[in-house]
Amino acid sequence: MAEIAIGIDLGTSNSCVAVARGRQVEVLPNAYGENVTASVVAFRDDGTITVGNPAKANLIHDPHNTVASAKRLIGRYFFSEEVKKAQAIYAYQIVEGPGHGVRINVREEQFSLPEISAMVLREMKSIAEERLGQEVRKAVITVPAYFNDNQRQATKDAGRIAGLEVLRLLNEPTAGALAYGFGRGLDQRVAVYDLGGGTFDISILEIGKDVFEVLSTCGDTYLGGDDFDDRLIDLLADEFMATHQVNLRQDPFALEKLKLASENAKKGLSVEEQVEIRIPDVIQSEAGESLSVERTLGVQEYSTLVMDLIQRTFKVCDEALQQANLVARDLDGVILVGGPTRLPLIRRAVSDYFQQEAKTEMDPDEVVAMGAAIHAASLVGDTPEDSEDAFLLDVTPLSLKIGVAGGLAETVIERNTPVPIEQTRTFTTYQDHQESVRIRVFQGESHKADENEMLGQFEFSGFRKARRGDVRIDVTFEINSDGLVSVTACDQETGSQASTELTLSSGLSEEEMAGILGENRTGRVETDAAAKPAPSPARVPPAGPEDPAMALEVLDAGEPVPELCELEVDRQEPAAADADDDRPTLSDAEEAPVPQEGSGAGEAPMPQIENEIQLEPADLQELEGIEVDDLDGNPDDSVPLETGAESLFGAAGTDLSELDDGEK
Amino acid sequence: MAGIAAAEIRAMAALLDDLDYYQLLEIDREAPASVVKRAYYQATRRFHPDANRHLRGADRTALERIARRVSEAYQVLRDARRRRAYDGQLGTAGGSRMRLVEAEAKASQQALDDHLGKTPNGRRFFNLARADIDKGDMQAAARNMKMALTFEPQNSFFREKLDALDGALRHQG
Repeated sequence: MAEIAIGIDLGTSNSCVAVARGRQVEVLPNAYGENVTASVVAFRDDGTITVGNPAKANLIHDPHNTVASAKRLIGRYFFSEEVKKAQAIYAYQIVEGPGHGVRINVREEQFSLPEISAMVLREMKSIAEERLGQEVRKAVITVPAYFNDNQRQATKDAGRIAGLEVLRLLNEPTAGALAYGFGRGLDQRVAVYDLGGGTFDISILEIGKDVFEVLSTCGDTYLGGDDFDDRLIDLLADEFMATHQVNLRQDPFALEKLKLASENAKKGLSVEEQVEIRIPDVIQSEAGESLSVERTLGVQEYSTLVMDLIQRTFKVCDEALQQANLVARDLDGVILVGGPTRLPLIRRAVSDYFQQEAKTEMDPDEVVAMGAAIHAASLVGDTPEDSEDAFLLDVTPLSLKIGVAGGLAETVIERNTPVPIEQTRTFTTYQDHQESVRIRVFQGESHKADENEMLGQFEFSGFRKARRGDVRIDVTFEINSDGLVSVTACDQETGSQASTELTLSSGLSEEEMAGILGENRTGRVETDAAAKPAPSPARVPPAGPEDPAMALEVLDAGEPVPELCELEVDRQEPAAADADDDRPTLSDAEEAPVPQEGSGAGEAPMPQIENEIQLEPADLQELEGIEVDDLDGNPDDSVPLETGAESLFGAAGTDLSELDDGEK
Repeated sequence: MAGIAAAEIRAMAALLDDLDYYQLLEIDREAPASVVKRAYYQATRRFHPDANRHLRGADRTALERIARRVSEAYQVLRDARRRRAYDGQLGTAGGSRMRLVEAEAKASQQALDDHLGKTPNGRRFFNLARADIDKGDMQAAARNMKMALTFEPQNSFFREKLDALDGALRHQG
């Protein structure tokens, strides 16, 4: 008998595990007989950790020590929007970790996001083991198609921490399509509309006899069922405020009750035209009087609350269709994935948009896990003799870019390129005897570097010493079938190789990972806990204060880049490119992890630049008089300095300081 | 499904850089889109790492390299614009360039030249400007930068540096 491998849909709100054996695909229910398990982790006061619906119930009593929706935070930088949003919504303590990463503080202990997700995965693994009566070591784990490399890497880490060999990170919509089309001998073009708890994905696929080719994928990792609930929470809280002059949002316990009520109302509206929302004794007034929320909510009213969110998904659908060079009527089917797609108002809107009835025969909560299970079975060779494995031909959802002069980013691999793929670019040294080349890698669709997600920064060193421009270095960017990025560099002449895995600043360093694996805190989940000693207080991850990636960034800021020589030429005027941008670039952020929002943050880099240039006011007066012909320079004096000057001048500072005498 | 023999993988990997995309997918230069797609499916089926789990070590690395090149061939040939550019490149490069060099990559090469300076005089004044900045003489730097630009008026990197200088100076004023 072949080794068993399971499929896990690791969801924002709920997770699901399935297995495929022979031609049978089955969802494995948890101990309570439920097919989905809440992705919630509760840390009890006796040191035990529970996962699932009991943990979710704990949210109301102990919101500070119960972690929900960890997937929204995994692989994010601490300064990201999503983290700020989560801090406002969740009572558990979200703090900054090494390398601008995110950590969760609970009961005097600090956990990384991969550890939290690992606890959920461990639960799913043990559900499977319980049902199958055997140990499970291998799994396919699904991720939103629009997840970037940081998020994928962190999810893979979570699998490792949970004691699973992750055979593949499979995109959720692709898994949905696989569950829909596997073994049916279809010849169709379909759209998979996947609205989950925290993310939205749309994939357009061509399903052949046994080939599932993704034509395009688009998404929004900031949009999901949670956002629908937030709308209702806001409505209820505002109304409560107006009636009772008490702000429910400020009370973590009341907020949790509101969240639960909003989620239940949403679920109720999936089957009823109208629901009663009742939260008795939600809070006490200042006078000690017990107050309650009581209200009816109709489908129509709910629809106006969330319609713009639904419309947002269609903007993304437009993009996906355009990328696939198709229009809605070219599609043979629309598959719905994710709990929120149970809502009749979403089903109607989707059917209207695609001009056809969406397919509803599959359970939107289970279909992804089933697809993952089918793929897992094929990867360990457990498919029936007479059937062929299904081939999944997936694409990379986001363009891979490198940072170039002027704060811009240049595309190396375009989005929706089939994976696995590689692309090679040639760099050269910029200074005589330069021994290293630095490359910053981004994912996203903006031509401005800082509007993309930074994946990491690499320094390749050990090249032979030569005059500038003489050393040619081929840098190869690779995206594998998991959607994970790696980079290798090679000296064209000597063939000497340097390679690196993308070490992401927001992820776990190897040392941290080793520490986590050694400590096995996720092993405390459930019954294991009793045997373990109580946790030591205020434990910090075993890594040093800075991880290596971070050290590089700091170096970058203080002593500017011996910048490699790729830069943007013909896209637009460099000065103009930055003129409308008053936010700090990522390279600005390196010197101080300034949150990338608001205008206040933009002011920080200014004084530094002034110091760097060290001009006397007198010189400047003189210079004012010099006219440079047809200079497109920016009339607004202050603007280019805020961002542009950091990168332009920061870079110039180095080149200039390391003058090359030989050339004179 | 039958995997592919390790010997075949090694032979293919050795040949890889001498094959154009059409040869790799085993199709004619005139093959229509539907044929390209079918050929891509077939090649993927043969070289997909998932279908060749028996391969290990160097053979696996070779296989993965071929699989990536197959995706690349498909990405270029399925797109009319890229395919035209590639056909043009195959026509002119005398078969030495089997992989499409994208416009953006060419732009990078251009940028690289800009960065170092293309003319002896442009380079000379650029270096003088660098020395001036080192000394803190921004005024002289701007003048030399401007001279460098007169020798290489199309050099956008020089332009960028001058703009930065000029903007910085004006801001200080």
